[in-house]
Amino acid sequence: MPQKLKEVDVVVIGVGFAGSILAKELAASGLTVVGLERGHGRHSVPDFQAPAIHDELKYSIRKGMMQDVTREAMTFRNHHREVALPMRQWEAFLPGTGLGGCGVHWNGQAWRYQEADFIYKTHIEQRYGKKILDPDLRIQDWGVTYQELEPYYDRFEHLLGVCGKAGNLNGKIEPGGNPLEAPRSREYPNPPMKEQYSGALFRKAALELGYHPFLQPSANTTRPYTNPEGMTLNPCAYCGFCERYGCEHFAKASPQTVILPVLMKNPNFELRTESQVLRINLDSTGKKATGVSYMDAQGREFEQPAGLVLLTAFALNDVRMLLLSGIGNPYDPTTETGVVGRNYAYQTQSYVPTFLGEDVHLNSYMAGGASGTVIDDFSVDNFDHSSLGFIGGCYVLCGSTGARPVEFHPTPPGTPRWGREWKDAVRRHYNHTAIFNLSGTSTAMRGNYLDLDPTYRDAWGLPLLRITFDFPDNDVRMSRFVTHKASEIARQMGAKIVVDSPRTGPFTTTSYQSTHNTGGAVIGADPSTSVVNRYCQSWDVPNVFVVGACNYPQNSSYNPTVTLGALIYWTADALKTRYLKRPGPLV
Amino acid sequence: MKIHSIVRTVFVLMVAGIIVASYLAAQSSIPNKPISNKSGIGAQIVAQGTTRGAVACARCHGFDGASDGSGAFPRLDGQSQQYLAEQLRHFASGARQNALMQPIAKGLNDEEIDAVAQYYARLHAVSLPSRPMPTQLRDRGKQVAEVGDLSVRVQACESCHGPNGEGELISGVPYLGGQYSHYISVQIQMFRRGYRKSQQMFVPAHNLNEQDIIAVADYFEQASRPAMK
Repeated sequence: MPQKLKEVDVVVIGVGFAGSILAKELAASGLTVVGLERGHGRHSVPDFQAPAIHDELKYSIRKGMMQDVTREAMTFRNHHREVALPMRQWEAFLPGTGLGGCGVHWNGQAWRYQEADFIYKTHIEQRYGKKILDPDLRIQDWGVTYQELEPYYDRFEHLLGVCGKAGNLNGKIEPGGNPLEAPRSREYPNPPMKEQYSGALFRKAALELGYHPFLQPSANTTRPYTNPEGMTLNPCAYCGFCERYGCEHFAKASPQTVILPVLMKNPNFELRTESQVLRINLDSTGKKATGVSYMDAQGREFEQPAGLVLLTAFALNDVRMLLLSGIGNPYDPTTETGVVGRNYAYQTQSYVPTFLGEDVHLNSYMAGGASGTVIDDFSVDNFDHSSLGFIGGCYVLCGSTGARPVEFHPTPPGTPRWGREWKDAVRRHYNHTAIFNLSGTSTAMRGNYLDLDPTYRDAWGLPLLRITFDFPDNDVRMSRFVTHKASEIARQMGAKIVVDSPRTGPFTTTSYQSTHNTGGAVIGADPSTSVVNRYCQSWDVPNVFVVGACNYPQNSSYNPTVTLGALIYWTADALKTRYLKRPGPLV
Repeated sequence: MKIHSIVRTVFVLMVAGIIVASYLAAQSSIPNKPISNKSGIGAQIVAQGTTRGAVACARCHGFDGASDGSGAFPRLDGQSQQYLAEQLRHFASGARQNALMQPIAKGLNDEEIDAVAQYYARLHAVSLPSRPMPTQLRDRGKQVAEVGDLSVRVQACESCHGPNGEGELISGVPYLGGQYSHYISVQIQMFRRGYRKSQQMFVPAHNLNEQDIIAVADYFEQASRPAMK
């Protein structure tokens, strides 16, 4: 018999960036908040300290910070006529677990989305007409605009201490920044990172070709910085262990470094780690959540009643929790009815290995997670698509995140995969090779969606989430076009060998691409095509708010975290100024 | 107590400054042979200084780089060459404020700075004999050095300075293991007071309290250095 606990005002499922910020805001306004985190508690000291944290085998190869695949995985297939199989090892994407969530092991690439992203359908159709869209694409508007989110972007960037140079301050183009970015109301809180040598070479070549290179905005802090919550960050030491690792220097913005200590001090908040939420409980009408049920590490089940449930457990887990709890109608790709799981998208990632020759010494191991020089000329709709026959684009980044020796050993095509020749090639190319990273839009498509697997279950007996996904033809054409453009820059840099490798289908889960899983609980103005309204509030159960990249109707070129931060503060504001005064549907 | 020792250090530095200044005056009148043999430049400067105002390094730091043990002067033997050269340039430019070292560093040209740095970087003096240290202080020092302290948001010193404070030769992070405790604690105070500027050291130097600084400095003084470089 589950033990019923004392009711609280708010229960938060998942204590990463979204959970910790929302909990902090609500606890500060006087509500009692319980944060349920399925993973361990962990902190910069002692858990992320060197040398133990610089363990490639543990964290990069064995994915030490990720969800335990033996307890809880996902199943995957490319098409809804196939049978999905469980993922036994994380490769394509890396769902984190533990206090701080993915905010601990991210790289800190701190991008805003474009104005066009939030009105994507309207924008594309206005600019190109409907005919540019393949019939199976399902793009849509967010129901909230960039202008509305701008103050919340600003707030999140200042929480993180994002480092960069403004390129567009209130509509005025600023030298040194990204002239193609959406207008920002303030300069970045900190100056950009140091330019890597590969980035300097890239900058020169990109300028020669008429592009607009700049230093990538980063949440690896560049100077001592105290954020508005009073949390002090240390400058990044360019140690090269960012993605997949925790930061020992208090330099990478993470919940631990920017907000959690403030939250933990508030007596209104209680953190419960190793608490696996099984479902959100609904009352007999199915229109009101009564709290959640969860199991602790000893296998004891608890019921935690709450007046408000915040679902902030990472995009894929959020969608699964909605499906497990019976909130909203599951999407059916054959009839195109239902919404939960609809518009699952990803990131169309491609790479251009650029072999510069042995006389060019890059020293790429000196890196922060978001170091790099980048052009935004081919992102989203920053270029004219009218004669191209596809929508979307990629940013082109030349930067290293650390060139760690176990993971990084670029060799040209045709090199044997092992043995002496391979070793010789690694020696010859390790310090002389830059890898361009192209992060591209992922266009929502009718057949790409999330639902519950009919066969496979997790350690708690609950159905796994099933991912059905392949790259839309549109995105493959887009990747081919932009990757070729990037290869031209590589050749302009004087590369000896350029490997033009655009993304092609089918999507496979066996090689790392990106952890930017988006969609499935989409934000929008129309309940027939969205799961939450413009305030991230469930259309079906108004005392449930879902905040995550699952809200994105399609994915932009950019890394999603900072846009998620804007949505988090936007939602926090709606909760505090509107919902708490008059609980009920905000739209 | 420890404030006293800082005052004492400052006093020692001032007195040493006067002594060095008098040496400088005396020295500048001694004609030096022009430096020709590049490999010998470093040793020559260490022994004789330069005609442009650099006093012989060995007067304070010794020929073996072990200095005099008072802790007023750091040991330099086996220190990162890049670090030593960078510090000399910072002394010269005033980026690292030190009345004693500035005129000396200014009396060295680029080539001489590299030569002197190389000279000391190649040496290896013996480790200090261990002296007794209260267990509690030692534990605290070890804690800060190896693990850090979440309550003051200070990371483990060894995250940058390496296991046992061995330093990172190539990236120019100085070793602390075997360095004089008194020198380390004074330098942390210098970071705190802005006489030395380092973005990396800013927060740790400000957030550690006096007792922690002493503890961690003592801990590193006793940390064993590798027998061979």
